[in-house]
Amino acid sequence: MNYVALKMLFGDRAKYLMLLCGLTFSVMLIVQQGSIFWGLMMWSQASISNVNVPIWVTDPGIAQVDEVKPIASTAVDRVRSVDGVEWAVPLYKGLLRARLASGDYHQITLTGLESSTLIGRPAEVLEGRFEDILQPDAVVLDQWAVERMGGPGIVTVGTIFELNDKLARVVAIAKTQKSFTNIPVVYTTYERALRYVPRERRALSYVLAKAKDGLVVDDVIQRIREQTGLGAFTEEDFGVKTIMWVLKNTGIGINFGTTILLGFIVGMAIAGQTFYLFTVENLRQFGALKAMGASGLTLARMILLQAFTVGLTGYGLGIGLATVFGFLTARGGSLPFVETWQLLLLVLIALLTICAVSALISIVKLARLEPAIVFR
Amino acid sequence: MIIGKRLSVWLALLGIGFTAWVLIGANKHEPMPTPISDPPRSPYPHTVAASGIIEAVNENVRIAPPVAGLITKVFVKVGEQVNEQAPLFQLDERELRAQLLTREAAIPPLQAQIDEQTYKIGDLETQLHRLESVHDERAVSEDDLKRTWYALEMAKRGAQRLHASLKQAMAQRDEVTILLGRLTVRAPRNGTVLQVNVRAGEYATLGSAEPLILLGETEQLQVRADIDEVNAPLVVPQARGTASIKSMANRKIPLTFVRIEPYVIPKKSLTGENTERVDTRVLQVIYRFERPSFPVYAGQQLDVFIERQSSGTSSGTEPPSTVRTEQPS
Repeated sequence: MNYVALKMLFGDRAKYLMLLCGLTFSVMLIVQQGSIFWGLMMWSQASISNVNVPIWVTDPGIAQVDEVKPIASTAVDRVRSVDGVEWAVPLYKGLLRARLASGDYHQITLTGLESSTLIGRPAEVLEGRFEDILQPDAVVLDQWAVERMGGPGIVTVGTIFELNDKLARVVAIAKTQKSFTNIPVVYTTYERALRYVPRERRALSYVLAKAKDGLVVDDVIQRIREQTGLGAFTEEDFGVKTIMWVLKNTGIGINFGTTILLGFIVGMAIAGQTFYLFTVENLRQFGALKAMGASGLTLARMILLQAFTVGLTGYGLGIGLATVFGFLTARGGSLPFVETWQLLLLVLIALLTICAVSALISIVKLARLEPAIVFR
Repeated sequence: MIIGKRLSVWLALLGIGFTAWVLIGANKHEPMPTPISDPPRSPYPHTVAASGIIEAVNENVRIAPPVAGLITKVFVKVGEQVNEQAPLFQLDERELRAQLLTREAAIPPLQAQIDEQTYKIGDLETQLHRLESVHDERAVSEDDLKRTWYALEMAKRGAQRLHASLKQAMAQRDEVTILLGRLTVRAPRNGTVLQVNVRAGEYATLGSAEPLILLGETEQLQVRADIDEVNAPLVVPQARGTASIKSMANRKIPLTFVRIEPYVIPKKSLTGENTERVDTRVLQVIYRFERPSFPVYAGQQLDVFIERQSSGTSSGTEPPSTVRTEQPS
């Protein structure tokens, strides 16, 4: 009987393709929209993932990573004094204006890394050597800074520009994740960053730390909070905090959320409707089978098999297409696209539910069906 | 099987496979790039971390001029070992030299006068002697005798006055000599010249912010460790400590406790600017150390870890001031 069911499904090629297309594109739509949304969220916490350290310590009132509230510079030593902290280093982060030789101004994010370890530096360098940042007046740009400041023709290794009237010389270009605001990132050492920025009573933005191996990170974070009175977060928690801030304080959450929800509803509605139509059109054949003596259970099994076969095929094609789209467009990092298995699982469950529901409706309809309908 | 004949099914499988491959590739969490040098780590299970600066054991001497004046000669170079009383620099002394000349010139006339007076006294003494030796009252009047006697006594007093004047003139000469000596600034104790901020021809003013010459003892060095006032109660005297210079965190320097400075001072954040900005107050603890095998210099910054005894880390031993809030800015 399974063979008959599949034969029924695949037999009418046009109908099958239509059904498959409906499912495929709704899956693709949802996955693509969801991935772009999540990609955008990842961009908003790019400042955290680019630094890539396990523990962030700063003022307890911090809302998100780019809203810096400076703390006293002894905080580094205070964090180092907490049991279970393997190391702690300072990080400066702040907005500044860069002035190019042409006179163009660009807002930049100045990131000051601890000079002897350079913890927090990007892993990949596209041009030059990151260690050259230790030379006098040296800074490292990220690739987006080059793009924003006018491309490799204007800014490249060796370019000189002004940061707050002080000299800065590009010695390397680093590869980083693009950020949501896309403000160019300029890396320098912590000590030199303090020389570039205007005077403030407090200068330290963040203390980056790592818990000793074998200890529970959350315990260490709790201890840092208790002993120093500062706010300590894991990389993930800080990322979530930042994402939540973006969702709450910008229009992205509402706008994108509605789009995704609509996409989801529309996609699922199309999927359900197409499959339902398919079974309805096949009611005659099922009626014939029923007349021949096939039991209700067998017929239900046949419909479910059809539903899941076409559902899974559509799912596979849909996520495949979405991934190809993402792979081709987002490879350079200039388009936000982050697929997660959670999203794929959610879509799978939703799709199978829709298929099951529409199959159930058909089954109920079939149960009520008079076999005589075939002969009318 | 009929399923196997459909291209769409194979494409779907391909799609799932490709997605899985991309997902596995993309969601790999890249490890942190290794630090270019090890970050400083505490060798103790419980620790109080501090930032320290190396200084000479005897606090550095900021040499100042006794008077404002032009510098004519600098005798020492940076890094030179000097003994106590060794000349460091010379202030312009021409004015005093000129005075000395006049003062010295005042002495020979006085001496000549003294000599003159001596002869006068001799002459009068001889006269008096002669007059006294005449016993005939008619030949020598009482009046003459008296007069000569008075003249002699006056001459003697005159000699005394001249001697006093000579002494005064010599004292005046000596004064100028001493003042002259003061213009050569000398080392108050043995040490090494750490800084020389003067050149011959410059004008040394009194009370300048920068010491003219910085003298210190660099044979024995010590560390001045700054501890946030919040952590101050955690430090106990005689606590063990280690330090490492920046960028050489794995070369530990063992420290010996010297003392805790009893006064908590405003912290200087070392930005290298003329005016440092104060953001908190710090307790300073002094530690001594043997010179390690690698070079260290006075003024260099250190990461210091001090052992904390208390085993109850987060329980009752916690000082009340460490709880919750940052101090308001």
